[in-house]
Amino acid sequence: MRKTPKFPVLLALLVIAFGAMIVSALRAQDSAAPRSAASVTTNKVYTSLEPVPRGKEFQVAVVVNIATGYHMNSHKPLDTYLIPTTITPQLPAGFTLKDTVYPPGKDLKFPFSPDKPLNVYTENVTLRLRLTADEKAALGDTSIPIKLRYQACNNSACLPPVNVPVTAQFKVAAAGASAKAVHAEIFSATAK
Amino acid sequence: MNIKNAKFAWVLCAVALLASGTFTACGGSSAKGSSSAKSLNAAPDVTFKNLDGADVPLASLKGKVVLVNFWATWCEPCRSEIPALIGLQDKYASKGFTMLGASMDEDGKKAIDPFVANTKFNVNGTEKTMDYPIVLGTDAITDKFGGLLGMPTSYLISRDGKIIKKYIGVVNEDDVTKDVEVALGQG
Repeated sequence: MRKTPKFPVLLALLVIAFGAMIVSALRAQDSAAPRSAASVTTNKVYTSLEPVPRGKEFQVAVVVNIATGYHMNSHKPLDTYLIPTTITPQLPAGFTLKDTVYPPGKDLKFPFSPDKPLNVYTENVTLRLRLTADEKAALGDTSIPIKLRYQACNNSACLPPVNVPVTAQFKVAAAGASAKAVHAEIFSATAK
Repeated sequence: MNIKNAKFAWVLCAVALLASGTFTACGGSSAKGSSSAKSLNAAPDVTFKNLDGADVPLASLKGKVVLVNFWATWCEPCRSEIPALIGLQDKYASKGFTMLGASMDEDGKKAIDPFVANTKFNVNGTEKTMDYPIVLGTDAITDKFGGLLGMPTSYLISRDGKIIKKYIGVVNEDDVTKDVEVALGQG
């Protein structure tokens, strides 16, 4: 009588073990291994009006997605030596910055600071510029370069502070032109 | 199981073992702890500047066990390990050991001076400032160490100028103390 082949069982066990190792290694790399400071975030930029009529206030939002396992200081860290997160626009002629709105951070404790909380951003954070375009703003396609500066850490090590360039792109229309409010999920009064 | 299948199974086993080794190595390079240098490589030939602008060649410290600690004032994990580093300096400086704190602050002396002068750390119940040698680190210097992925990163260097161990992330006080004692010939 021929023995039942054991090979399929062995193969299945190997595949399971191998898969578990891959998942485990990828998770470890995602959360713990330092990466370049700029690659800790992925960033998207949104404008609140389409188009932006001259004379009307509008907003630009920089939505920062922070890699799992990492945090960055909020705009108001609890210690003067810590580097705050900031956005700084380079405004073309005809634009005025009315305000920069940073959400509050979360007070969190970390393994390296078990007693003293740090005020940080984790996961996603939306930073906003309140702007106006006046009659000097050029009509048509417009770009506003924005410098996003932050300093990120994971649970055991920190990456150097970094300036990441992002750009707001939109159209400017004549005063009184009809404009559509867009991205309400980001810009509505109740949106975080 | 026929011979063909048996051979294939052994090949698969070998692949799995190789893969296991590869991923274990990946995990070992994480920021969570320390890792031994592959072999005792010579420390790079680098020259730091101290806070007075004077040259501090690393080679000038030969004969001592040196813990080069790359840190920054804005790095909270770095700050958390400073009491342990002050403790090491206090305990072992007279036995041929020295800390060398290499700051990576972009603003250099302007940022470091007030921090070193004013920031007090609780070292075994006593308030102390950083009383070990502080120098300015640069990207060119860290490149010669193989590049920094994060801070703190520290290198334990033997009396004869060989890198004994690299620590990525906050050092474990017990582990680094043992390592220093072994390097000093007391372990």
